[in-house]
Amino acid sequence: MDVIGVVASVVYQFCTNAAFLLLCALGLIIILGMMNIINLAHGELMMMGAYAASASYSRGAPFWLAAIIAFVAVGIFGAVLEATIVRRFYGRELGALVVTWGVSLVLSQGFLLLFGPFMPPIQIPEGNIALGQYSFSYYWISMFLIAALLVAALWWIYNRTDIGLQARATMQNPAMARALGVDTRRIYMMTFTLGAALAGLSGALLAPTTSIMPFMGQQFVAPAFITVVVGGATNVIAGAVGSSLLLSLVKTPVGFFLGAFLGTVALLLAALIIIRLLPDGISAAIQRRLDLRHRMR
Amino acid sequence: MTEAILSIDGLKKQFGGVVATDNVTLDVAAGDLQCIIGPNGAGKSTFFALLCGLHELDGGGIVFKGKDITRMLPSRRVREGLGLTFQTNRVFGSLSVRQNLEIPLASIRGERGILAEDRYRMALERFDLDRQDETQAANIPHHKRQWLEIAMVLAGGPDLLLLDEPTAGMAPEETGNTAAVLRDLNRTGLTILVVEHDMAFVRKIARRVTVLHQGRVFADGTIDEVTARQDVRDIYLGRR
Amino acid sequence: MANPFSLLNGPEDLGRGPVFWGGAAIVVALFLAVPLYLSDFAAYNVSYYLLNIPMALGLCLLWGYCGVLSFGQVAYFGIAGYAYGVIAGNFVGHSWGPMLGSLGGLVMAAIVAAVFGYFVFFARVQIWILPILTLVLTLLLETFLGQTAGYQWRVGVVQLGGYNGMTGIPAFQIGDFVFSGYSFFYLALGLALVCYLACRMLVNSRHGKVMLAIREDALRTEMLGYDIRVRQWLVFVLAALLAALSGLLYVQWGNYITPSQVGLLSAALPVIWVAVGGREKLLAVVIGTYALNWLNYQLSSSGNQYALVIIGALLVIVMVFFPRGLVVSLADLAGRRSAPSEASTARVRG
Repeated sequence: MDVIGVVASVVYQFCTNAAFLLLCALGLIIILGMMNIINLAHGELMMMGAYAASASYSRGAPFWLAAIIAFVAVGIFGAVLEATIVRRFYGRELGALVVTWGVSLVLSQGFLLLFGPFMPPIQIPEGNIALGQYSFSYYWISMFLIAALLVAALWWIYNRTDIGLQARATMQNPAMARALGVDTRRIYMMTFTLGAALAGLSGALLAPTTSIMPFMGQQFVAPAFITVVVGGATNVIAGAVGSSLLLSLVKTPVGFFLGAFLGTVALLLAALIIIRLLPDGISAAIQRRLDLRHRMR
Repeated sequence: MTEAILSIDGLKKQFGGVVATDNVTLDVAAGDLQCIIGPNGAGKSTFFALLCGLHELDGGGIVFKGKDITRMLPSRRVREGLGLTFQTNRVFGSLSVRQNLEIPLASIRGERGILAEDRYRMALERFDLDRQDETQAANIPHHKRQWLEIAMVLAGGPDLLLLDEPTAGMAPEETGNTAAVLRDLNRTGLTILVVEHDMAFVRKIARRVTVLHQGRVFADGTIDEVTARQDVRDIYLGRR
Repeated sequence: MANPFSLLNGPEDLGRGPVFWGGAAIVVALFLAVPLYLSDFAAYNVSYYLLNIPMALGLCLLWGYCGVLSFGQVAYFGIAGYAYGVIAGNFVGHSWGPMLGSLGGLVMAAIVAAVFGYFVFFARVQIWILPILTLVLTLLLETFLGQTAGYQWRVGVVQLGGYNGMTGIPAFQIGDFVFSGYSFFYLALGLALVCYLACRMLVNSRHGKVMLAIREDALRTEMLGYDIRVRQWLVFVLAALLAALSGLLYVQWGNYITPSQVGLLSAALPVIWVAVGGREKLLAVVIGTYALNWLNYQLSSSGNQYALVIIGALLVIVMVFFPRGLVVSLADLAGRRSAPSEASTARVRG
């Protein structure tokens, strides 16, 4: 029995699933944590990122460059969206949900009309490591590493930079932050732009796994939302990471034995159970632990 | 010795690293008019929230009218006879005064007892509230809104009324009226517990006063006993 | 129970008094007289506009009156439709098949809503969780139904059909009377009317007032002695039943159903009808639903590919510039013109 191979394969599956969930959810969670808004156009932003990447890639850009282009392009679009529509709905969470859903409809239908039903696909970058009968693709390994890198970068921004401090203050108490001189409008604008840019980046990164069409955002939306619901808004990074890991723990065995669809169903069931036990998501529970530890010192 | 309508034993509550309520034990006798006072941050509003079940307890028990309500849902506690007005006045701002008063009337408890009906009518009259008033609640004067909230809670026919800073933001004349109405309500046998900052108001109504400090019961007695103590003065001046 | 007429004539919906009811009677008479001036085919189309009304009413109760937003009402539409197709399809030839199928559809939708609602309402979750999870539920349902293409995916003799959907669904019948053409039109019209009037009575009743209170300030309502979770849960199940009713009428109208009926685009539609009409007033939602379905038909039947883009854009524009809905805003204008001293009505909060 190839024990090492089996163990490696399970770990690989787990990391792959976690990376997928994290990439789907990261942009969404950042916006939720800051403005308490769920951006329902998130799937379409990912789609736009994939489109931007596909357009660049088919014109000869290497994959990594196409992904960066997607990051920037969708980020700019996000900034425009925030300035024109989203900022009118701060404090009105349900209204924001509905209006961003309208935007998602216009985007998906609009792209269908503008660019037709398909864009040129991006091939999964070649290469894999073989271990006995198991193969581990470079692509998914690098997805995992990129996801980890993004989390680290975000953690660094939020906890080690001035702007991150201002952002955390705004998250906790916007009125107080404003009173201390923080330009909260700028923070919101930057946060939404970053969230959109990350969505675009994720869309570009995950584009090789699927066909690039106007409704491709849909397949990412369910996992993204579930991850965000389980994570909660209390502590953005802890929520994103904790949720991805926890849900991957559910999805990996179920997906392995019962297939991908039932894996996603298991995610929904897990989410329902978790919110029953922890209504504010696991990030709230993590934050409580951190607070207690702080107090003990 | 009058029976205790409310018995609180060893109440504990912690939020993250902060201890909001630290082993609070006290009894409220039926028919009493008691004030809870204490410096800011003493945990007074948290205490009320715990009584109503709005936060889960970390320890301790609450017995109300002989029943253990420690695990009861807030709405059930209200149906058992608890009534609460909030520190930041909560009425249905975008609904009219009439609509606001109609909502408690539709309460599941159905018929109010004669006593409760009398109390409600008295409050409406003394607070000058008109059951047919179509003005939006958000547009009536602040002190009227406070009174409206009290009337709404009385409509449910409570046996214990919890008032969280009922005279906050009120002018002296209105404060006086509130005090008079509360005294009269108390005379009908309604037990009232009030969290307050305004010492003049406390003097007007309280028979018994409990001082909270840092989540603990610091002192207990009549208003004169309590204010005579140097250590009570010290906590207000921040010396402790 | 209070006087039914006062419940119908109460303040919580648009329109009251003899002029309003007179006008309403005229409109209803116009609809009743449809066979006199509309062809079979035209009546068939109007039936479609009408059969969506119950689902919209359910969402209006849930969102506009109770403050609970669900993005997944179409899930119950689809569950009922597919359930009816399966049950009635297996009992073709028995006159009670369709009635059993209808009952089955309603029951299944109610059970799913009750269970799902239990997890969400009794957990006291944040306000945005329900819209997201209901959306996820309906998307998962679509994915599931989409991969039921093979022959092994059948219940009894009825194939689920994968992305192509279920066809040959029997029409509704009571005894030996089959509802189709004009008779189906009257069925849809009658049910839409009954649902509307019943909902109107509900919102004017004591329970309706408590729903409003929950929407305005759930904590305050709870502290007046109401179990808000049970009440929200009940409205949620009611809304599911109304959506299920629309689903039943749909399959009885078109005799087919596909997974796209529970997909993302379909899920957006009820939200759009309710938001554009005006979520706080039932009548506004009825008018909005009818008008938008009519508009959608005009746009798509004339080959206009921009139909969905236009409707999506309409949603965005209405949410930004007319947050109370078009019909409600118009009604407000009319009200202000005639009685400028009236007390202002409830304000919308996002």
